[in-house]
Amino acid sequence: MAKLWAIIKREYLERVRSKWFLIATFFGPIFFSAIIIVPAWLASTSKATTDVYNTTILDATGTGFGHRLAVNIAVDTTIPGRMPVVKVVAPSELTQAESLATREVMRKEKSGYLVVDQQTIAGESARYAGSNATSIVDMTQIKSAIRQTILASRLQNVGLDDAKLKQITFIPLDFSTERITERGRAGSGMASVLFGFAIGFLLYLSIVIYGQTIMSGVLEEKTTRVAEVVMSSVPTDTLLAGKVLGVGAVGLTQQILWIATTYVLLKLRAPIMAKLGAPTMNFSLPDITLGAGVLFLLFFLLGFIFYSSLYAAVGSSVNSESEARQAASPLMIMIVSTAVFIQPVLLNPTGSTARVLSLIPISSPIIMPIRMAVTGVPTLEMAASLAFLAIGCVAALWLASRIYRVGLLMYGKRPTMKEMARWVSYAR
Amino acid sequence: MLPPRSYMTEYAIDIVNVTKRYADHTAVRDLTLRVPKGSVYGLLGPNGAGKTTTIRMILNIIAPDSGKIHIFGRPSNDPKITERLGYLPEERGLYRKMQVRRVLKFLAELKGVRGKDADRRIDEWLVRLSLKTPEKDWGLSKIDELSRGMQQKVQFIGTLLHDPDLVILDEPFSGLDPINSQALKDTVVELKKRGKTVIFSTHLMDNAERLCDSVCIIARGEKVLDGTVTSVKEEHGQRNIALALEGDGISGVAAILRDHSLVKRADDSNRFFEIEMAPGADPQALLRRIVESGAAVQRFEMIQPSLHQIFLQKVGATGVEEGMTGHG
Repeated sequence: MAKLWAIIKREYLERVRSKWFLIATFFGPIFFSAIIIVPAWLASTSKATTDVYNTTILDATGTGFGHRLAVNIAVDTTIPGRMPVVKVVAPSELTQAESLATREVMRKEKSGYLVVDQQTIAGESARYAGSNATSIVDMTQIKSAIRQTILASRLQNVGLDDAKLKQITFIPLDFSTERITERGRAGSGMASVLFGFAIGFLLYLSIVIYGQTIMSGVLEEKTTRVAEVVMSSVPTDTLLAGKVLGVGAVGLTQQILWIATTYVLLKLRAPIMAKLGAPTMNFSLPDITLGAGVLFLLFFLLGFIFYSSLYAAVGSSVNSESEARQAASPLMIMIVSTAVFIQPVLLNPTGSTARVLSLIPISSPIIMPIRMAVTGVPTLEMAASLAFLAIGCVAALWLASRIYRVGLLMYGKRPTMKEMARWVSYAR
Repeated sequence: MLPPRSYMTEYAIDIVNVTKRYADHTAVRDLTLRVPKGSVYGLLGPNGAGKTTTIRMILNIIAPDSGKIHIFGRPSNDPKITERLGYLPEERGLYRKMQVRRVLKFLAELKGVRGKDADRRIDEWLVRLSLKTPEKDWGLSKIDELSRGMQQKVQFIGTLLHDPDLVILDEPFSGLDPINSQALKDTVVELKKRGKTVIFSTHLMDNAERLCDSVCIIARGEKVLDGTVTSVKEEHGQRNIALALEGDGISGVAAILRDHSLVKRADDSNRFFEIEMAPGADPQALLRRIVESGAAVQRFEMIQPSLHQIFLQKVGATGVEEGMTGHG
């Protein structure tokens, strides 16, 4: 037991002390909060850009429609310079005015120009040309301002006074979305999907990085023959267990640090974003209970044990880094093919693909936590997933320990699959 | 069944009828060998003879298919035994990115030496092998900042840090510079003086001949011969003596040389004789008789074949079999 502890301690301390660990632990949360905050920030700025104010309205209606429209586009007329310029033109001068406006846009003095005429008042057509013509948000805002202005004109024609008019047409609608799960309301739908994606990505990255860390650690011990010295002091199973637990603890430490700092960063996002000049947004974090957190770490740990023991077996069976990369490709294929399903599972977390993948030990350590993040998972499914994963871990450890203890002592050419199968059958 | 008690204390290593087979060849076949406590023992053989496999079985890194191995009277898979063994593998290396002191502490912990005790021993050894001087403490450097010679020293410290009773060295002289090589020989001698048992494998007969009390030659996984260096030479070489005399008194000696209980045959070259001893005769008795006869002895030397010659004679050039691991 003391020797197992010595191995765990070495694996843990040597890696935690490394520069790489410090850098990754420090930049991880910045990276993860960036992938959560940036899309959320982009979503929050779905209010039109300032481009809509920097436009010219060519008013050929002869009714002052352009001025009323400009006020409606500006929304808040008290802010200077946030209102389109209105040019009243005669219908016959329109072509000339348009070419003038086009040149202004080309010289980047204006974002675009809007043409309103009799057909606009009739509610039939309006034209916009500009550099932001592809911006859905901008166009939506201009379009709704035109509708609003037409509606107001018609109501005025029916004899409504200005105060009544404002009262009727003023609709400052703020449309927010929220997702409902079996546990109730669970924060904004967007945030939840992003969170699920972040978790899937985090797990995928951790398993690949730490799996390969174990593999090259085993390879180093083999090529330097340290393995022989250690094996003369402790049973190989203890060495393997010590490595998996030691590196696993490093991974767990990093995950916990990442989660904790990301959480703090997100809590503090309002002041951070205010500093960045971004508008504060109404964006609630997904509601994570302690139980879900523990389950998440459990899936990480089991997934890690499953893959890292197989990576250790690969590391023990080869003689160089380049051989290792080749020999590890089946494992890489297993992990990457799981990662391919992250998006489909996010889109349909209760579908049969998601449910089947969260039962297979190869994919469940990544897929199940994602489902947990975006939807409620029935207890029975959760239990079955954990049970299968645990069985998978035992099988992987058994297989790995048998390859490991033979492989570590075999130098020379890389073994074939057949030879490795024979190693498994060796007593010792 | 444990062997009888007297037997338990007599041998550091007791290997009985051990066989280890791999898929396509037998690495060690029906090997029996005993290493007396407190001796320096050489395991000699060509590459691929089964030396490394034998050593790995002694260390319980691999288990024999059949046969028994006892270390200090206890089965080799007894976990307590490993703490009394020190092992230096053939090709050497350590965790490259790790600090020397931490590597040594780790190796000590694996052998049950912990905490302050380990720190104290590491300090002693670093000073002793001049890896820690008033100017520079290499113990604080990383392994890959050390020269090859220094790395070998560190590995050597790792082998001996827990003061093992049985030290197992696999090809210890390969790749050593002359200075470290001499240091290793000195250490082996010192270990023996302190009552430790040292077993090493080598194909360098010269070192074996000078250092070992006993040897075992194996080839193709089988024992060819074993015993003390003296007995091996006696059994497998002619027991010849070179005798040179000064001045007169040759006539007295001639009579002694005709004593067939002592001398089987003598080549007379006037004042130089090459004498083949009678079976079982003691060369020391012959020397006494010659001195008593009043002859002035200029040279009296047992001319024995070297281990190298015996090795070549017994194993020959065909003793090499392709090993699975490429060595041992």
